[in-house]
Amino acid sequence: MTAPRLLALSGLVLALACSDGRSHARATVVLVDVSGTYADQRDEMVRIIRSGLLPRVRPGDSFFLIRIGEQSYDRSAVEAAVTLDAQPSRANAQKLALAGALDRFARSPMRARHTDISGAILLASEYLKETRAGRKDIIIFSDLREELPKGAKRSLDSDELKGTDVLAMNVKRLAADTNDPAGYRTRLADWGNRLTQAGAASWKVVLEPEELAEEYAAER
Amino acid sequence: MNRLYLWPDSPVLSLVVLLLVAQIVCWSARVPVHRGLRKLGAVLGGAFRLVARWLRSASEELARRNREVLLEAGRAEMEARLEREFTRIATSFTAELKEYPGLHKRLDESVRTVEEDLKESALTPPEAPGWPEAVEAMANMPKAGDRTVQKVLDEIHRSAVASEKKALSEYREAMAKRHRILAQTAPVWKAIRGLLEQVQRAVTGALGAGSRIDGYMERYEKIRRGEDAAERGLAVSTLNLFIISLFVVAVAGGGGLVNFQLVARPMSELVPGGGYVFGMPISMIAALVIILMEVAAGIFVMETLGITHLFPRLGGLPASRRRIIFLVALTGLFLLAAIEASLAILREQLLEADKALAMSLAGEAARGKEEVAAPLLSRIPMIGQAVLGFILPWILAMIAVPLEMLVESGRHVIGRGLALLIRGLGVLFRVCAHLVRYLVAVLGHVFDIFIVIPLQIERLVRRRDSAVPSPVDPRALRNPTERTAPFRAPR
Repeated sequence: MTAPRLLALSGLVLALACSDGRSHARATVVLVDVSGTYADQRDEMVRIIRSGLLPRVRPGDSFFLIRIGEQSYDRSAVEAAVTLDAQPSRANAQKLALAGALDRFARSPMRARHTDISGAILLASEYLKETRAGRKDIIIFSDLREELPKGAKRSLDSDELKGTDVLAMNVKRLAADTNDPAGYRTRLADWGNRLTQAGAASWKVVLEPEELAEEYAAER
Repeated sequence: MNRLYLWPDSPVLSLVVLLLVAQIVCWSARVPVHRGLRKLGAVLGGAFRLVARWLRSASEELARRNREVLLEAGRAEMEARLEREFTRIATSFTAELKEYPGLHKRLDESVRTVEEDLKESALTPPEAPGWPEAVEAMANMPKAGDRTVQKVLDEIHRSAVASEKKALSEYREAMAKRHRILAQTAPVWKAIRGLLEQVQRAVTGALGAGSRIDGYMERYEKIRRGEDAAERGLAVSTLNLFIISLFVVAVAGGGGLVNFQLVARPMSELVPGGGYVFGMPISMIAALVIILMEVAAGIFVMETLGITHLFPRLGGLPASRRRIIFLVALTGLFLLAAIEASLAILREQLLEADKALAMSLAGEAARGKEEVAAPLLSRIPMIGQAVLGFILPWILAMIAVPLEMLVESGRHVIGRGLALLIRGLGVLFRVCAHLVRYLVAVLGHVFDIFIVIPLQIERLVRRRDSAVPSPVDPRALRNPTERTAPFRAPR
C-alpha cells in the first residue's frame, strides 16, 4: 500500500474514532411559582409541562423542577431532578415516572408567603452548570413579582446565566397590572434586563403553551 | 479640512491655490508618473498574461491527457469486445463444427432414404393385361348352337372376367404401395428441411458475428488512428454513461436513505450512548455503518461473480478462493438483511411505544385521538417494514455495477470539466491583462486631464520658444517628445 493511501486510511479511521468533544445534551430547569394566587395555577402548569415539554426532552437530557417559594435557593426547593438514560426506552420509562412526580406536585397542597425568584434562578444556574450540558434552558412559570423574605440577599453575577436561554411562560397579570399595563410591561422588561445582564443568551415571554413547545423544540 | 486651508477665512481662494500647487507638482512629476504607470501596467498585464498562458498550456496538456486516456480506455473496451466476440464465435463454431459430421450423416441418410423410396416407388407396376378387350370379344361372340360349346365359352368368359378382376386388384395394390412409400418420405423431407434451417441459422449467426466484428474493427481502427470522430463518440458515450450511472446511484442513495430511516431509531436502542462524531450520534453512525457494510458486501458479491472489476486483485484470485469470498459476502449480506428486517420490526414497536407515551403524557386531552388512531395499529405496517428491511439491502448490494460505471466515466468527465475550468480561468486572466492595460492608460489620461492647464501652457511655450528650459532635462528622456506627448498605453 502506498504512503498516501495509508495516510488517507489512517485519517478516515481517526476521524471515525474521535468524538467532537462538544456536549449535545440539553438541561432544562422549570421554575414554578407556588406563592400567592399563582399557587392555583399548578394544575395548568403541570399539564403544559407534560404535554409541551416532556415529549421533547431527549434521551441524555436533564430535567429539573424547582419551586419558587419562601427560600428557593434551598435544595429542598427541587421537586424533581432527572437525567434521562441514553437508551430511548429507559428514557421513556423515566419520563413516565417524572410525569407521576409532576402530578403529585400538582396535587400536594402548598402556598408560599414569599416569592424568591432570584434564589430559584441561582439554584437553577448551579444545577445547569453541574450538568455541563451543551444547551441550557430555564423556563419560569410565575407572575414575576418578587417578594423576598426578610434578610434574604440575592444578586446575579454577570456570568451567572452564561449561555442559558430563559423563557417566561404564563406570566400572570396581577390586579394592579389590569389597571396599569405599563407596570406589567415594566416588570417584564426589568426581568429581561436583569437576566441579560446576568449573561442569559436570550429572554423571551411566551403566552400560549403551543408557542412554548415550538420555542423549546427550536434548534439553536 | 479647515487645517488644509491656507487662509481659513477664504476657503475658496485656499482651495484654488492648493489646486494650482497640486497641478504644478503633478505637472513636474508627469514623466516619472507616466513611466511608473506604464511599468505598473506592463508588470501587472505581463503577469496576468503569463498566468493566462500557463493556464492555457495546462488546460491543453490536461485535454491531451484526457484524450489519450479516453482513447486508451476506448481501445481497451473495443479489444475486450472483440475478444468476447471472437471467443463467442470460437465457442459457437466449435459447437457447430462438432455437430457437423452428425448433421452431415443425418442429412446423407435422409437423402439416401428419399432416393431409395423414390426408386422403389418408381418400379413399374404390373400392367393391366388386355382383359377387357378379351372379355368384350367373348361377350360379343355369337351364341353357338351347341350347348357344350356354349358352356365352354361361358366358362372362358367367366375366367376372363375373374382374371380381369385379379389383374385390376394387383394393379391397385401396387399403386397403393407406391403411394404409401411416397407418403413415408414426407417426414424425411421435413427432417431435411429442419436440418437445412439449422445450417442456415448457424450460417446467419456466423455472418452476423462477422458483421459485428467488422463494425468493432472499424471503430477500433478509428480509435487507434486517434480520429476526432472516434474521440467525440467516446466522449459522448462516456458522458451518457456518467449521467445514467449518476442517476442510478442517486436512486440507490434514496434507497439507502429509506434504509437508514428504518434502522436509525432501533439502533439508538441497541447502541445507546451520548457520544457524537461530527455532530452525529453514535447510534446513527452505527446505522450508517450497517448500510455501508451491506454496500461493501454487495460489491464483493458482484466482484467475485465477475460482474464488476473494481478490485483487480480479487479478479486474479483462483476460482476456489473467489468462491469462498463470494459465499462469505453472500452470507454476510443475508445476515445483514435479516438483521435489518428484525430492526424494522423493532422500529415499529418502538414507534408504537413512543406514541403511547406521548398520549399518556398528553393525558385526558388525547384520549379521543387515541381512539381515532387505533385502527392504524394493525400488523400491516410492521410486515411491510420488515419486508422492506429485508429487500432493500439486496437492492443496495447492486449499487456496485453503477458505481463502477460512475467511477470509470467520472474520471473522464471530471478531467474534461477540469480542463474546461482551467481554460476558462485562462481566458479570465487574459481579459484581466487587457483590463489592466486599458485601466493604466485611462489613469494616465486622467492624470493628464488633471494637469491640463500647465500642460497646455507648456505646449504653447514650447511652440513659441523651444529654448525655454523644462523642469525635466530633455536629455534624461529616452524619447524627447515624451515631455508633452500624450500617454502611451503599455503593450
